[in-house]
Parts: sequence; C-alpha cells; structure tokens
Amino acid sequence: MKILIVEDEIELASSIASYLQAEKYVCETATSFREAYDKIGLFYYDCILLDIMLPDGDGIKLLEELKKEKKQDGVIIISAKDSLEDKIAGLKIGADDYLAKPFHLSELGARIYSLIRRKQFDNSNQIKINEIIIDLPSKMLTIHDNPVELTKTEFDLLLFLIGNKNRVISKAAVAEHLSGDMANTMDNFDFVYSHIKNLKRKLTEAGSEDYIKTIYGTGYKFQL
Amino acid sequence: MNKLLNRSLLYYLVLSTVVLALSGPCFYWLIEKLYLDDVDEAILLHKDEFFKKSLPGLKLSDVPQWNRFNRDIQIYEGKKVTDKPKDKIIREIFFDDMAPEYEPYHVLYKPVTIQGKSFTLMVRLNLVESEDLMVTLTWLYVGFLFLLLLANFYVTRLISNRLWQPFYDTLEKIEKFNIEQQNVPQFTKSVIEEFKKLNQAISKLISDNVKAFRIQKEFTENASHELQTPLAVFQSKLDMLLQEPELNQNQAAILLSLYEAASRLSRMNKNLLLLAKIENNQYSILEPVDISGVVNEVIPYFKEQSISRNLQISTNITNMSVLNASRPLVEILVNNLILNAISHNRLNGRIDIQGTIEELSISNTSDQTALNADHLFKRFSKFSKSTSSSGLGLSLIQQICNYHHWQVKYFYKNDMHSFTIIF
Repeated sequence: MKILIVEDEIELASSIASYLQAEKYVCETATSFREAYDKIGLFYYDCILLDIMLPDGDGIKLLEELKKEKKQDGVIIISAKDSLEDKIAGLKIGADDYLAKPFHLSELGARIYSLIRRKQFDNSNQIKINEIIIDLPSKMLTIHDNPVELTKTEFDLLLFLIGNKNRVISKAAVAEHLSGDMANTMDNFDFVYSHIKNLKRKLTEAGSEDYIKTIYGTGYKFQL
Repeated sequence: MNKLLNRSLLYYLVLSTVVLALSGPCFYWLIEKLYLDDVDEAILLHKDEFFKKSLPGLKLSDVPQWNRFNRDIQIYEGKKVTDKPKDKIIREIFFDDMAPEYEPYHVLYKPVTIQGKSFTLMVRLNLVESEDLMVTLTWLYVGFLFLLLLANFYVTRLISNRLWQPFYDTLEKIEKFNIEQQNVPQFTKSVIEEFKKLNQAISKLISDNVKAFRIQKEFTENASHELQTPLAVFQSKLDMLLQEPELNQNQAAILLSLYEAASRLSRMNKNLLLLAKIENNQYSILEPVDISGVVNEVIPYFKEQSISRNLQISTNITNMSVLNASRPLVEILVNNLILNAISHNRLNGRIDIQGTIEELSISNTSDQTALNADHLFKRFSKFSKSTSSSGLGLSLIQQICNYHHWQVKYFYKNDMHSFTIIF
C-alpha cells in the first residue's frame, strides 16, 4: 500500500508518515506543489493525502490534474478550512474524503483504511480477523460463525479500532469519531468508556479473544 | 413634537404672543395719551381764543345768546358751578341729547368776569368719537402685527425646513447604516459650511468603523485558520506519544489532560471561526427547517452524553412551525442549547425541552443560582466552574438568533435556568 502525503507542514507530515508506517503502509512525503505534481505524474498511490493550501500552489489543481489523467488514486483532502462549501467543492472535483484540521491520526488511519478497502473490494467486502468476520455492506458481525448483535455505535467503534489495529487510539479520538458532526458539542469523553466496555463484553461473550486493550484509561488498542 | 424645528417655532410663537399681548394695550394707551393731550390743548386754545377774541366785546345781555349757539363753550352764572374745580381740565360725563346717551368729555372750568359780574366759563370736548377711532386704530395695529407674525412664522418654517434638509438627509442615512453591511453611506452635498463639516466628520467616522470592523472580522477568521495547522501538529504529536510502548501510567494521565486541552482548544477555535463566518454572512442559504425535527434528531445523542450525570431529559414539543432558516446554524443552536443544559447541570438533574409554535425553551437544574443576564451572552464571560466550557457557546447562540431575527431570553424560575428562543 503506497501513500503520498502532500503537506507543507513537515512536522505534521512526519507524524502522519510514522503513524501510517506502523500499519505497513509505504509513505512518501511531498512538501510543495511542485514536488507533489512530479510524484503524482510518475507513480501510482493507493491513497493521496492532500493539503489543499500549499505555499506554491492550490492543492485543488493537483486533484483536477489527477482526474484529467483519469488516475485511480484515492484522495483524502486535509484542510485547515472546515466549511461545508469547501468540503462539497472538494468532493465534487473527485476527492474521496475530506478531513478538517486538526484531526486525530487515528481518524485519518480509519479513513484511509476504509478508502482503500472501498477501492479494492468495491464495498462487497468482508473483514476477516481470526475468528471475527465483519460484513461491511450488511453491517453484520459474526464470531466463530455466530452472529453478534451490535448497536450502531458499537459497530462504528469496532471498525474504528480495526482501522487502526496495533496502534493506540486516544480516548479523545474515539469520542470525536463517535460524535461525528456533534464533536463540537462534546462535553467530556466519559461516554467512550461505557461503549468500549460493552463492545469488549459482547466480543468476549461470543467467544472472541480479548483484542481490545486499554492503555491506562487514556487510549485503546486493537491488538493482534 | 420635540423636533428641532417645532422647538424653534414654539419659542417664536410664545415670543410673538407676548409681544402681541403687551404691544396692543401699550399702543392703545399711547394713542389715547397723545389724543387726550391734543384734546386738552384744543380746550386751552378755545379758552384763550374766548378770552382774547370774544370776551372783550361781550355784554351781559349777550350771554344767553352765546350759550344758545355754542354747545361746547358755555358761560354759567357764578353760583351755578361752585362745586367744580377751576382752571383744571377734568373728565366729566354729560348727557348728549343728540345721541341721545351719556358721553365722556374733557372739561375746563374758568372763572370769568363780564361787565363786573362773575361767571364761570366751561369749555369741553367730546371724547366718544375719538375713542372709536383709537379702538379701530389699535385693532388695525394688532391685526397687522398678527399678520406679520403669522407670515413670519410660515416663512421661518419654510426656510428652516429647507435649510435643515441636508441635516435630516444625513440623519436618515445614519439611521439606515448597518455596520455589518459594510457600505459607507453617500451624503448629499451641501453648500453650508456646518453641514459640509458634519457630513465629512460622519463619513470619516463611519469608514473608520467599517474598516476596523472588517479588520477585526478578518483577523478572527485568519487567526482561527492559522491556528488549525499548529493544532493539528500538536494533536498528531500527542497521538505519536501515545504509541510509545514504554508509556507509564503517570505519563498516560498527563497525555489525557493534554488531549482534553487540545480538544477544548480546537473546539474554541472552531467556534470562533463559526462566529466569524456568521458575521461574514457565510450562511446566507435559507431553507425551510423543521425545528422539532432538529431537536428530536439530536436527543438520543445527548441522552447518551448525559448518562454519566444521570440526567432526566424530557421533551414536550407541540406543533412547532417550519421556519425559513439556515439548517447548519439551527443545528448548532439547538446543540449548544442542550449542551449548555447538560454541562451546567448537577448530578441527577433534569432538563425540560419545550417547543411551541412561537418558541423553543430549554430549562435545566443547576447548582448555580440565577445568572446575570447582562453579561451572559458576551464572549468569554464564564459562569461555571466547568473547565470544558469555551465561553463562546452562549454568544454563538445569540449570534445565530440575531442572524435569524429571533430573540433569546434567559429566565431563572423554580430553581430552573431556562433559555427561550422566541421565533
């Protein structure tokens, strides 16, 4: 899996790269429009993380270039602008997703995971992790071939954890992920705890191994 | 009625009335005095004429004849008029058999000797006809004066109206001026120095204000945007730190606090940006929004958020209207109202959400007593110990209400804090 990170803020780019490398992604970084333009022309990437505000050009132009060349690279826009219009404009031109800064690396990880799966399996796909099988289109979970009932939130939470497997997700990131558009109105992260607890219980009761680890109440990890 | 013009006309009117009321009698008195002096002079003249021309040739036998032909110069026998003062002009009433009525006269009695016998000469002049003249004159005077004042009044009004026109024009334009629309009004040019100066001063004041307002808005928006990237770096570094395998419990606890601070920072920043966007009119798309639908949609989420405080959320929504509004803003409004009710609530508290056709009211229990409604909606005014509050929620609520021309009111009743939006 090859990922191109187009981001002029080097520190941010390096964090993203090291976070994603832990999940066996191959990451390349471009810190300018020119560099990104050259790389996109030469190589194919499974996913391009595109900051649209670059010092030497508009990231949207790169996106338009990709679409003109009919390239299949998945594109996630990461932008400091968080307005509906920007989001809609980006998606219209052909971006697959839009993530506003500041974001949690785990949120980015989950978005990349789901984008790549969508590209590879056209949505008719299942995630298999040992005894756990998740059928994405029907949102069904089976453990040892027995269906397990999950609430919508628990299902989201499980996918989020799996999208960042083997890495620690902060409680804050979980809270924001589960709150979605309502993240701005979140008062505390306490509600995360009960969802994690319920999910853990349902998985282990159905005979699954206890994959979900808690890191001192600060983060969670789906450990394989 | 308290207009500038009316005020000056009122003073004018009072002054005119006083002048009219005082000058009429004065005029009459003066005319009368002049006339009476004249009359007295005439009487004295008649007397002198009598002594000089008539008396030397007058015989005793002529007296009845004289009295027959001279109505106003009579010669009485001495004893007949002993009670009257002599050598002095007095006022006396005589019966005039021609009129016939009693009429006022000025009279002079003067002792006179004809052929050794003493008589009293009486010279008089009728005042009646002259009095009529004086009254007529006075009325004429008052009439002219009144006409003059009336004409003056209307002319003053007309001229003032015209003179002050540029002022009223400027006033009207200032009244219509709205800083959020960012356009400096164009004042009508005036040739009058004062108005010219006024318009220049106001133009300068307004354009400075508009500029300051724009700079402030741009600053907020730019600052918020610029903050997003360092915030993203900060948060990503926290995420990386969390991956450290040798993380111990103390470090994890520190990380958790940092995460909370980062979340607050980014929420605050987003809210600031949102405020700037509302002020910049970036939510101009209005559509029919079913308020009750918006409320019902978010209730499950907030019920989940309030579990840790064991809050009771009850809703009572009856036929709420569908309003023309900006959907994202209405959602933010409702979310912030309910969030406030949760975060300032106490353990095992209550939240009542009531919606009717003209208002939406959200009330909550709290450990706090009534809040000061004056400062409530200002940015960064803090009322609670809750550290997670950004201090922007209420000002956001008010901004959204202003934007839609709704009203937001705060009440404290029956131990419940309640915020009511009146549509």
